[in-house]
Amino acid sequence: MQVFFQTLVGGLSLGAIYALVALGFSLVYRTMGLVNFAHADVVMIGAYVASTFYMSAKLPFVLAILVAIVSTGLIGVFMERVLRPLENKDFDLMLIGTIGFGIMLEAIAILVWGATGRAVPSPVKAAPLDILGVRIRTYSLVVLAIAAVATTVLILFLQRTKRGTAMQAVAMDHEAATAVGIHVGRSNAIAFAIGAGLAALAGGLAGPLLYVNPTMGASLGIKGFAAAILGGFGNIPGAILGGLAIGTIDAFAAGHFQGYSDLVTFLVFTVIIMVRPTGIFGERTVNRA
Amino acid sequence: MKLRLTGIAALAVVAWLLPYGLNSYAIHVVDVALIFAILAIGMGLAMGIAGQINLAQVAFFGVGAYATAILTTREGYGFWPAAALAMLAAAVIGLLVALPALRVQSHYLGIVTLGLAIAFLNWITNAPIAGGAEGISAIPVPPMFGINLFSEYLYYYLEAIAFLGALAFGLFVVRAPLGRRMRAMRDDALAAGAIGAEIPLLRMTAFVLASLYGGVAGVLYAGLIRYVAPETFSLATMFLLLAMVIIGGRQSLVGCVIGAIGLFLVREELTDFATSAQLAYGAVVVLMVVFAPTGLAGVPARLRAAWRKRHPQSSARAALRPFQPFPAAPTASSSQTAILEVRGVGKRFRGLKALDDVSLTVLPGEIRGIVGPNGSGKTTLFNVISGLYKASAGQVLLDGRVVSGLPSYQLSQRGVARTFQNLRLFGNLTVRENILVALDRTRTRSIWRYALWPIGVWRQDAALKGAAAALVDRFGLIDFAHAAPRSLPYGIQRRIEIARAMAAAPRLLLLDEPAAGLNGEEVGQLADIVRSIRASGVTVVLIEHNMGLVMSLCERVTVLSHGAVIAEGTPADVVATPAVIEAYLGDTTTMADVPIQIPSEATR
Repeated sequence: MQVFFQTLVGGLSLGAIYALVALGFSLVYRTMGLVNFAHADVVMIGAYVASTFYMSAKLPFVLAILVAIVSTGLIGVFMERVLRPLENKDFDLMLIGTIGFGIMLEAIAILVWGATGRAVPSPVKAAPLDILGVRIRTYSLVVLAIAAVATTVLILFLQRTKRGTAMQAVAMDHEAATAVGIHVGRSNAIAFAIGAGLAALAGGLAGPLLYVNPTMGASLGIKGFAAAILGGFGNIPGAILGGLAIGTIDAFAAGHFQGYSDLVTFLVFTVIIMVRPTGIFGERTVNRA
Repeated sequence: MKLRLTGIAALAVVAWLLPYGLNSYAIHVVDVALIFAILAIGMGLAMGIAGQINLAQVAFFGVGAYATAILTTREGYGFWPAAALAMLAAAVIGLLVALPALRVQSHYLGIVTLGLAIAFLNWITNAPIAGGAEGISAIPVPPMFGINLFSEYLYYYLEAIAFLGALAFGLFVVRAPLGRRMRAMRDDALAAGAIGAEIPLLRMTAFVLASLYGGVAGVLYAGLIRYVAPETFSLATMFLLLAMVIIGGRQSLVGCVIGAIGLFLVREELTDFATSAQLAYGAVVVLMVVFAPTGLAGVPARLRAAWRKRHPQSSARAALRPFQPFPAAPTASSSQTAILEVRGVGKRFRGLKALDDVSLTVLPGEIRGIVGPNGSGKTTLFNVISGLYKASAGQVLLDGRVVSGLPSYQLSQRGVARTFQNLRLFGNLTVRENILVALDRTRTRSIWRYALWPIGVWRQDAALKGAAAALVDRFGLIDFAHAAPRSLPYGIQRRIEIARAMAAAPRLLLLDEPAAGLNGEEVGQLADIVRSIRASGVTVVLIEHNMGLVMSLCERVTVLSHGAVIAEGTPADVVATPAVIEAYLGDTTTMADVPIQIPSEATR
C-alpha cells in the first residue's frame, strides 16, 4: 500500500508538469484548431532558458522562470506570424510547419547549449515531508501548487477579461468573430504566446525533476499531448485531470514494466483514443468537426 | 512523351554507370540514400496520396530491419526467408497502426502514430532479443547466386532494382483506380464515401502500403549495414524523413524521391555541421509549407501557371456544351414497391431535435421535391438517408430492405447517389478524375490484383476512361475535362457534381439544392437534366428552395418544418396548405404572397 501511494505521489508531481504542457496544447487547439507539434521543443527551450538564468546568472528560480516565459512567448508569437497564411486553410500543412519549427528549435538548443544535458538543483531546500511513511518532496508540492494557480489564472483570463472572451469567440467561429471586429490573427498570436509561456513554465519546473537535454521535449510533449486528448481536447480543467492521469499511468507503468513504460503508456493511450476519441473526461467543449 | 522516354533512358544509363565513378565511401552514401528514397515513397503514398498523417514510417523501417536481424542472427534463418517474414511483420504492424486511423484523423492520427513510433523505439532499446542499446550486429550478407553482395558496389545494383520496382509500383498504384480513390479520400473523405469508396479499407491499404515500403527499406538496410541499433530508428530520423517528403512534394512520388535523395546528399555533405544542417532543413520545411506547399515537385506547375498568367493564350474560350439526354429506359415494370421508404426517422444532436418522426415513401420513377424553410431538417434527412448520419430513431428502407445504419459507401453500392449543398468535389483531381472515381464500381478488396495481375487493373482502367469520356461528353464538360474543379464557375461545378453522382450508376439520386447559385438559364438546363435522369430509370429526390423549379419538376412534394413533415401532395396542393404558408411566412396569408423563390442557404 505504501508503495502504491509512493508511486501515486511520484506520478502526480510529474503529472502536474504534463498538465501544464497539456494546458498549452489545449489553449492553442481550442483557439485555432491546431496541434502545435513544436510545443514539446518550446518546453525544452523553456527548461534551458530557466536553468541557464537560474544556474549561470544566479537569478532567483522564480525570476529565471519568468525570463523563460517571456522569451518563449516571443517564440510563440513568431511561429504564429510565420504560419498565419495557413490559418483556417490547411491544418495538416500547419501541423507539418510546426514540426519544422520543432526541428529548428532542437537544433538551436544544441547550438546554444550543446548536445549534453544538465542537472538542475532543486530550488526548494526543505526536507521531504513524511506522511504515513510516504515521502513527498516539497518541490513536488510547489509544482502542484503552481500548476493549480496557473490553471485558475488561465480560466479567469478566458472567462473574465475582454481579451479572453474574444479568444473564446474566435475559438467558436472565427468568421463571426471577425465580423464583430475581433482581430483573429492577434487573438491567435496571444493564444500561441500564452501556450508557449505555459510550456516554459512546465519546462522550467521540470528542470529540477528531470534531466534537461535537447531531446527532453519529445516524451514530455507527447505525454502532454496525450494528457490534453484524455481530458477532452480544448477542455482546460480536463487538461489538468488528463495530465495527472497520464502522470499516474506513467508512474505505475514504470513501476510494473520498468524500461517499457513508454511502450505501455502509448499503447494504453492509443486504445483509449480509439474507444473514446473525445477523451475520457467528457466531450470537447469546442466542436472542431 | 518522346522527351520523357529519352529522359528516363538517360537516367537509366547514368544509374547503371554511376558506381564506376564513385569511391567506396560515396557508393555507401548512395546506397543509404536509395533506402531513404524507398522509405519516402511509402510515406508519400500514405501522406500525400491517401492523406493519412503517418509519423510511424520509421517504425515500419525498423520492423523490417529488426525482424531480418533477429531472424537471421537469433533464429538461424537464411537472409531471404528472414526478409520475406520481415515484410510480413511490417505489413502486420502496418495494419495495427492503421487501426487508430479508422477512428481518428489529422492531428490525432499524427500524435497516435508518433506515439506508436516511440513505443517501438522503447521496445527495441529495452528488449533483450533486440539487443538493447547495442543493437544487433553480424547480420549475414544476403546470398545472390554467387554474386558477392558484400561489395557495396554490387549491392547498389540490388538496391537500384528494388528501388525502381518500388517506384514503378508506386506510380502505377497512384495512376490506377486505387490511387485515384485514395486521392479522392484525401481531398474529401465524406464525398468519397458517398460515391462508394470504402474509406476504412482504403485507410488500411494506405498504411499497409507504407509499411511494405518501410519493410523493403528495412530489409535492404539490414543487408547493407549488417548492423541495426535503435538510434537509426529515432524520432530524428522520422522528422528527417518528413522533411524529405515535404521538401520534395508529398503529392508526387517522384518529388518524394528527389526530396529524399537530395536532402540526404546535402546532409551528408554538411556532416561536419550536422546541427546547422538540421536548423536549415527545419527552416526549409517551414518555408515550404507556407510558400510552396506542393514542394519541389510542384514548382514546374507553379512556374507554368505563372507563365500562363503573363502570356494569356488566345485559344478559343472553353465553353459548357449542351447536355445530351440519357437514352430513355423502357418504362419500368411499374412494380409499386417503394424504392425509398423513411419510417418514423428522428435525429437528435445533443439537445437539438433536427428530425422528429419523419416518414415518407418514394415510388420508383418519381421526382420528389422536399421543401421547407431554412433549418427545417432537409439536409439532415438526406444525410440520414445517404448514411452520413445515423438516425436516432426509425428506419430507412431501400426497396423494402432496411438500410439505416449502413455506412455511406455501402449505400452507394446499393444504388444511392447524392450531391451536396456546398459542393464537395475533389479539389486536387481533374474533372475527369472526379467522374472516374465514381465510375469505378470494383470493390477495394480486389486490390490483390495490383500485386498479382496488374494487366487486369490496366485494362479495367482503360475501360473506365472510355466510360468517363462518354459521360463527360454527355454532360457537355468536354472542354473542362482536365481542369481543376475549383477553377471553374459555380454553375459548372454544380453540373460536375451531378455528373459524378450519375457516374456511380445510381437507382436513387438525392440532389441537395441543385439550383442554388444558378442563373435562370442554368436552372432551365438543370430541369432538362433531371427529367432526362428520371427518364433513364433513376428515381430523383431533390431539396430545393426554387419553388418555380419544384412546381415544374416534381410530381409530389414533401414539406418539412422544424424537423417534421407538415404537408405532402402535388405541388399545387401543397402550396395552398395553410400550415405550409404559415411555416414560410409566419402567419396565414393569401397564396399570391408566397414568394416564388426563397433565398437559399448556399448563397448567403
